Amino acid sequence: MSEDRDQTLQELDAALDDLRVEIRSRFGGSAGREEETASIDWFEVFEELRRRANAFGIAERSGEVDEFGADEVVLARAQPVFDFLQDRYWRVDVDGIENLPDEGPCVLVANRSGLLPYDGIMISHAIHRAHPAHPLPRFLVADWLITLPFMQPYLARIGGVRASRDNAERLLSRGHFVVAFPEGMKGAAKLFRDRYRLQRFGRGGVIRLARDTGAPLVPVAVVGAEEVHPVLFKAETMARSFGLPFVPVTPTFPLLGPAGLLPLPSKWTIRIGKPLALDGLGGDAVEDELLISRLTEELRREIQTMVDDGVKTRPSVWG
Amino acid sequence: MDAPHAVGITGLGTFLGQRLAERLSARGIRVVGLDVRRPYRIAEKIQFQRIDLTEPTADAALAELLARERVDTVVHAAFRAEPTADVEADHELETIGSLHVLNGCAAAKVRRLVFASSTMLYGPWPDNPNFLSEDHPLRGHPDAHQVQDRVEAESLLARFGRLHPDVELTVLRTCWIMGPSYLDHVVNYFERPVVATLLGYDPLLQFVHEEDAVRAFERATLEPHPGVYNVVGKGVWPLSTLLRLAGKRSLALPAPLLYRMGEYPSKAQTGDAPSGFYDYLRYLWVADGERGWAALGEPEYSTKEAWIAFVGSRRMRRYR
Repeated sequence: MSEDRDQTLQELDAALDDLRVEIRSRFGGSAGREEETASIDWFEVFEELRRRANAFGIAERSGEVDEFGADEVVLARAQPVFDFLQDRYWRVDVDGIENLPDEGPCVLVANRSGLLPYDGIMISHAIHRAHPAHPLPRFLVADWLITLPFMQPYLARIGGVRASRDNAERLLSRGHFVVAFPEGMKGAAKLFRDRYRLQRFGRGGVIRLARDTGAPLVPVAVVGAEEVHPVLFKAETMARSFGLPFVPVTPTFPLLGPAGLLPLPSKWTIRIGKPLALDGLGGDAVEDELLISRLTEELRREIQTMVDDGVKTRPSVWG
Repeated sequence: MDAPHAVGITGLGTFLGQRLAERLSARGIRVVGLDVRRPYRIAEKIQFQRIDLTEPTADAALAELLARERVDTVVHAAFRAEPTADVEADHELETIGSLHVLNGCAAAKVRRLVFASSTMLYGPWPDNPNFLSEDHPLRGHPDAHQVQDRVEAESLLARFGRLHPDVELTVLRTCWIMGPSYLDHVVNYFERPVVATLLGYDPLLQFVHEEDAVRAFERATLEPHPGVYNVVGKGVWPLSTLLRLAGKRSLALPAPLLYRMGEYPSKAQTGDAPSGFYDYLRYLWVADGERGWAALGEPEYSTKEAWIAFVGSRRMRRYR
């Protein structure tokens, strides 16, 4: 019985070999390469491919993240995209980068515009280009945005950090440049008709932060980011089912569907002002509180002036 | 008070209880192990005493036992590794059992109490800072009864600390423990052939190696370290990277679907993740370990090494 089977198998093998030679000769291959072809172990090849695919996956997204979740590999891959956005798309002019201290820590305070944190990304990218050797500049993001599905993994990987006092202090103690937006939600959610009008600056958190950590406080004005997604009005009932605070209605979104989410190519200017002097802080607690609210307002007015100046002097929105 | 005379360990059958008992008795310290039943394998030297912490008079019985055995240090580790569907029974053990242990310790004039807690008690919340310090409020998770019970136990403990300032009180909050032999519902979840994750979320996780956790408990038992400490490994890793390192297959599902799907098997106790668990894979709840590392010694394994120790032991895949 088993001899029969062996014989059948051998015949089958011989037939297969003949077939292989036949195919080789018909499709231009020489029959001399027959031996070579026959020695390929397809299982080995498949194993090797699978192994490489796995290794590729790990090497490509190293996953080696820092303590706030920034990923070197993802960042390196995102650099050309950010360069494109900065140089070609929004043609960002950065004024006053020399006003930044040579080393961190440093708190940059900027006006917030638009729902997506393009402004934070552009400011940190500009700093990163000017000071490539420094620890990665980090931008602070409101909680609702950083906990949004799909946003959270990517924002953290490119250097976004949830805006909180603890996080900011930790970053500053590690010598990072930290980009803060004290307007918070009020700044991100304002309508197009309120553009470039700075909202109230929280409860003086940035001043307190600078006082306690000794980090210099640098005002930054971003002009052009308001036109990226001009929010005409907010749809609130629809938003509730998605767990969003509201759904912005822009001239293109949701009219054009996902394509309407593309940012418009306005011309941007990022102005970096002189560090704010925090004189007289750290004395009497009661006086400090009054001084903090005065300094906060001063800071807000300073940025407002820089923004107004930028809006007035630009030739047009599209530059 | 320096080295303890005799150590009482509640929950001798738990991983922490048993490992700690073995290590302490190897050092020549007398260990009295307490549990509802005798663990299957336990060194001869370790003395076993049966006690059911959920019984109404467990505190008096415990006080009598501790006084008789002249125990001056108690390690409270009698907590479930896996919550059961019986919410009331879990509450009886974790909260009321802890109350009985505290009352018993007070009555027996115990000098040092080491309390096993968890960083899960901080709760996964969208507004957590990236690193939770020991002073952060314990907000727990409203759906996870096993977490809520232990939050309550910690508040009882805080009251005990105010009433008995002479007792050296150490609270060790461990994060998720990983290692070759540790087992709990978190390990169950990661051992499944296909790991369900939340679509669009990739949280940073931290682990502590089982040896490091036991070592921290040993230090806290042998030396005076009053206070609260997070016992965590160094470094944080995104869930997706950990799964890729382990070569695990994962399935990302939208949050509402996954929550609904997770509800029924968890109620049915088929070894599925307990309700409320998936929020721990959604929001940040990483704890800051600096204080613990300074007081109880640096961990030998980082988060990644703890994970690899777990993965390697289960032969999920050879680590490359």
